Amino acid sequence: MVRNPLSITERIRGAVAGLISGPPAAPLLAKNHAYFQQLDQSKPLEEYEFAVVDTELTGLDARNDEIVSIGGVRIRDMELDPSDTFEAIVRPLGDMPKTATLVHRITPQQVKDRPGLEDVLPQFVEWLGTSFMVGHHVGLDMRFLNRACRKVLGAELKNPGVDTMRLAQVYEAELWESYYDRYTLNISYNLTDLTERYGLPAFGSHDALQDAFQTAYLFLFLVRKLKQGGIHTLHDLYLAGRSWRWYL
Amino acid sequence: MTMHNGDRSDPGSQPAMVLSFFKRTLPFSGLEARSLETLASQARIDFLPAGTRFLTQGESEVEALHLVQKGGVRLYTRDETGRETLVDFRGEGGAVGGMALVQGGRARLSAETVEDTFFIKVPKAAFLAVVEKHPQVGRFYARAFAEEYTALAFEELKERSGTLPEPGALYLMGSRVGEIMHGPSVDIPMGASIQKAAQLMEENRVGSLLVVDPSGEHLGIVTDKDLRKTIAVGMAPEAPVEIIMSSPLSTVDERAVCFDALMAMMRQELHHLPVTRAGKVVGMITAHDIVVMQGKSPMALFREITAQRDVEGLYDLSHRTPQVIRALVQEGAKAGHITRMITVINDCLLGQVVKLLLKQLGPPPVEFCWLLMGSEGRREQTFKTDQDNAIILRDVEDPLIARAAGVYYEAFTERVIAHLVKAGFPPCPGGIMASNPKWRLSLAKWKQTFERWILKPDPEEVMHAAIFFDFRAGPGQAAFAEELKSYIMPLIQRQEVFQRHLAANCLQNKPPLSFFRGFIVEKDGQHKNQLDLKSRGIAPIADFARVIALRLGITETSTLGRLEAISDDGIVSRDLIAEVHEAYEFLMQLRLVHQLAQWERGEDPHNHVAPDSLTDLEKRTLKEAFQVIGRIQSFLKDLYKLNIA
Repeated sequence: MVRNPLSITERIRGAVAGLISGPPAAPLLAKNHAYFQQLDQSKPLEEYEFAVVDTELTGLDARNDEIVSIGGVRIRDMELDPSDTFEAIVRPLGDMPKTATLVHRITPQQVKDRPGLEDVLPQFVEWLGTSFMVGHHVGLDMRFLNRACRKVLGAELKNPGVDTMRLAQVYEAELWESYYDRYTLNISYNLTDLTERYGLPAFGSHDALQDAFQTAYLFLFLVRKLKQGGIHTLHDLYLAGRSWRWYL
Repeated sequence: MTMHNGDRSDPGSQPAMVLSFFKRTLPFSGLEARSLETLASQARIDFLPAGTRFLTQGESEVEALHLVQKGGVRLYTRDETGRETLVDFRGEGGAVGGMALVQGGRARLSAETVEDTFFIKVPKAAFLAVVEKHPQVGRFYARAFAEEYTALAFEELKERSGTLPEPGALYLMGSRVGEIMHGPSVDIPMGASIQKAAQLMEENRVGSLLVVDPSGEHLGIVTDKDLRKTIAVGMAPEAPVEIIMSSPLSTVDERAVCFDALMAMMRQELHHLPVTRAGKVVGMITAHDIVVMQGKSPMALFREITAQRDVEGLYDLSHRTPQVIRALVQEGAKAGHITRMITVINDCLLGQVVKLLLKQLGPPPVEFCWLLMGSEGRREQTFKTDQDNAIILRDVEDPLIARAAGVYYEAFTERVIAHLVKAGFPPCPGGIMASNPKWRLSLAKWKQTFERWILKPDPEEVMHAAIFFDFRAGPGQAAFAEELKSYIMPLIQRQEVFQRHLAANCLQNKPPLSFFRGFIVEKDGQHKNQLDLKSRGIAPIADFARVIALRLGITETSTLGRLEAISDDGIVSRDLIAEVHEAYEFLMQLRLVHQLAQWERGEDPHNHVAPDSLTDLEKRTLKEAFQVIGRIQSFLKDLYKLNIA
């Protein structure tokens, strides 16, 4: 197995690119920005790293609601590494609404003594590194994370995102095409429902890390199942979901 | 690969999912927490869609142990002609590549996913580190049938039956005779009068005396029952006690478990047993002692059966057998013990039916020997077993007597069978019962019948007749059965063709190892998604033991007894015999526990279990048991050159 997420030359090129493209907004994000400025999509998926991320929020309003926990797990060589994880509970600035507590079971008491986002975020960015960010409906997570990054670190993350929900939609469409079956319109793309639909090992939900694990399983499943297993490079993955956009 | 944790809410819980997987997966489940955590931190999760071949026999270097988290894998070999032969399947918790990693070298078998499969992969180095530290892990993959884990599986079965409601546990298995005996025995010298004996018993408040000769040796036993008889027949109280004593003495060693003492008493219909230490009598144990020790006892049931004066009264008694069994299972008695106990009780019941009927019908014109066959013959009865029996009548010259015997035994056997049916032993669907004129023959006719089977075996008939070769004597003249046995044994030993037919029997049922969670279940019918433990597991082993035992001229009929006798001969490796032994006991145990549960629920006990209802350990052990069956089948194939698929 090749384990070489970043060759030396790439790293140098990345560093140089970083220098040329002017001073980055925040030192911490310099590497991040540099790396993604010249992304080579032609390499096998095994050579990229993916960080499967899930956040729990106080609500869904990206302007006013906040992150209360972040969970993440790494996929390297297209294998999930359950020991390379990130998990943090964050003390929000505002109040923790009861409705949110009921969803993710994090109580105001629990967050009282937790570090604020300004402490957690740099650790997360460091952990995230140059991995692709994978998430279920990842756009929402990224909106929240980027807002936080702008505020705390002065710039946004450049990590491209891969949305497992989109992948699932593409997969369902493929199934429909190849089986000439009636297209099921009422598929629920909820993470728990997809887990059951595809017969994946199930985790307890609504804990950021558990959900990240669950999403990681879904990601591994979909990448191997899409195009009848014909997805080999990052570019293939991109083409598989032409209808989607990279969250670049 | 550092682990960042902003502020971990629960340190040490990661990677909880993998850790909990190892905790419930053999052989890792036995490791201490530290090793498990190390292992879990090094594991990776991989996904391979259905139909992915990830190991090629003889080519692939095995880089990791693949543990199936969800899905299934088939293992197969491919010969030069490209023909694939299925070897095994691995379901959840199953491992691929273990043996190659432990023993070095390339993949032993090709492996391909048959379902979309998630694996927990343990990299080679990490796995070997565990093996080095915990040799049992290596043994688990290297060894065919891991005894260590069978023991664990037995424990689980015991626990499962432990949840059945039952007040007052038994201690038959746990306590030794020495712990409950009375000592020392009360002795009476030879030559003393019967009256003196009665006085001694009264003084010492005991129910039995041992008669000693001048050298101090114990000659025999006198019980209060014997004293009653002396009065009944009007014997003089001055007569010497040795006239009425029972001799020689049956004894039991003080270290024997109470179960064995009980078995001895039941078999010989005794109520008092002298207990010995190093061959010397040191005390007495009575049936009463055992009855007192436990509430619902096999002995009590046994006594009630023998005390029953009319046949109808026996019907209800037989329904109490399950209670007795339950108590034994709960105590952790192994299936071998329990089936022996059931057999003794059933024998007793049959003996009583026959005794009472003979009284009703009057003495028979000629002597007979009742034959017990199939599981009864092997002493392997479980709950309700179909009847499998026959009868041998003495050869008679006189046609008149022969006709009388025919009439008598027709009536006699029909009645016995009918009573047994009412006592809960269903009739044999194949009609193998003494009431069938085909199986009510004189000794000479029986010899001819067996001879025909042996010399001109017809596959159909051999199948049908296989259970006949497990016969043993029931009530009546055991000598007839002995003679028949000593007549046919040399015949079988000479007839390899016949043995081949018997061996072919064993190959009828392939072990049910398959992709669906590791088991092929019955595809349709009443027992859909269930596994027939009897036909797929127990019967092939019994078939195997039968053919080898007959080949070697072993007259023992019980499967475990046959296996033991076989292992002394050396034709089958001791290792294989030990594995077969374990596998058989486990299958029997599993069946007993399941039948017990069915009985508790008021269902009719049957031989089918749903794999889903088993624990992982049970499933795993069951799978290994089936693998052992695969091995005995190939052993027989080689031995008899049976190249039938």
